[in-house]
Amino acid sequence: MSPSAIVDPDALLIWAMMIGIGVVTFLIRFVPIALLSRLRLSEWLKRALRFVPPAVMMAIIVPSLFFASSALTINPDLPRLMAAAFATLIAWKTRSTLLTVVLGMCALWGLQVFLR
Amino acid sequence: MPQITSSRSEFITGVRAFTPMLMSIFPFGMVCGAAAVSAGLTPWQACAMSWIIFAGSAQIAATQLLASGAPLLVIIATAAVVNLRFMMYSASLAPHFRLIGKRWQAFLAYLLTDQAYALSIVHGLERGDNEENLHWFYFGLAGSTWVCWQLATITGVLLGSLVPASWSLDFIVPLTFIAMVVPLLSDRAMLIAAISAGLASILLVLPLKLNLIGAAMIGIAAGMVVEQRKKMA
Repeated sequence: MSPSAIVDPDALLIWAMMIGIGVVTFLIRFVPIALLSRLRLSEWLKRALRFVPPAVMMAIIVPSLFFASSALTINPDLPRLMAAAFATLIAWKTRSTLLTVVLGMCALWGLQVFLR
Repeated sequence: MPQITSSRSEFITGVRAFTPMLMSIFPFGMVCGAAAVSAGLTPWQACAMSWIIFAGSAQIAATQLLASGAPLLVIIATAAVVNLRFMMYSASLAPHFRLIGKRWQAFLAYLLTDQAYALSIVHGLERGDNEENLHWFYFGLAGSTWVCWQLATITGVLLGSLVPASWSLDFIVPLTFIAMVVPLLSDRAMLIAAISAGLASILLVLPLKLNLIGAAMIGIAAGMVVEQRKKMA
């Protein structure tokens, strides 16, 4: 590592981010175990938490398909969109991460050649 | 000393329970490592991320937000929402871990993942009478997951810097998430939550890169509304 990396504001931001998320995540994981029965999650919160994984993942996946080259205007990336639709079908039929990833990548490469 | 044999065998059972997950966790860890490097992290930072945070979805979300120039607090808040589900797992595991020391509890809490939680709870239900050793099963399972995750990250970091961008390997991120989301969509409420979050993520325009967290909140709210209506009907 070069000496300048120590004062690099980007490096500082990255470390602050990682440690910040690390601490918050550890507390989320540890506090309920540590407090044992003294902590009762409300029914309302439990119901909400069930929806966190699908909602978060969709909020990460979908923009990457619709905002090609990180433009601000909606600009569907057709090969990616079609490959994602195909991968959804594979995931639904096979429930296999490996097949979804491998066949999804093959579909993208194929579509990129044909749609260009 | 049957106690030791029993805890050791539970640990080994936990390690064995991990093996089928290798095929899904290893690619995901590789993706996290490669994505971190392509977002501008040094190889050391990318590896450190996996042991400091040790939560794939949050690592991906944070990496993307960092690359798009989001403010620090927004990145941390988004990751917190992504990881909030661990609170539910932790509360659910708490009664099983009540007899062990605080340091052990802290260590096991750090290792908590979706898979470690889900399989441990199922194993605990199956064993029922032998549940005082559940933390050994959990440790075998979650510890293996941790080792696999770190090795996968290193592999991803190394491969990520070798493969040219024209290969579009960043597309593995949405593909891995698709593979994880689809099996979750078992009922209408989950489906509506996913679709609403997806629509909101492209239609919502929020400042400070709050879109991800905003879209996720809309998806969660939509799912709860659908579930509530179903109950009242």
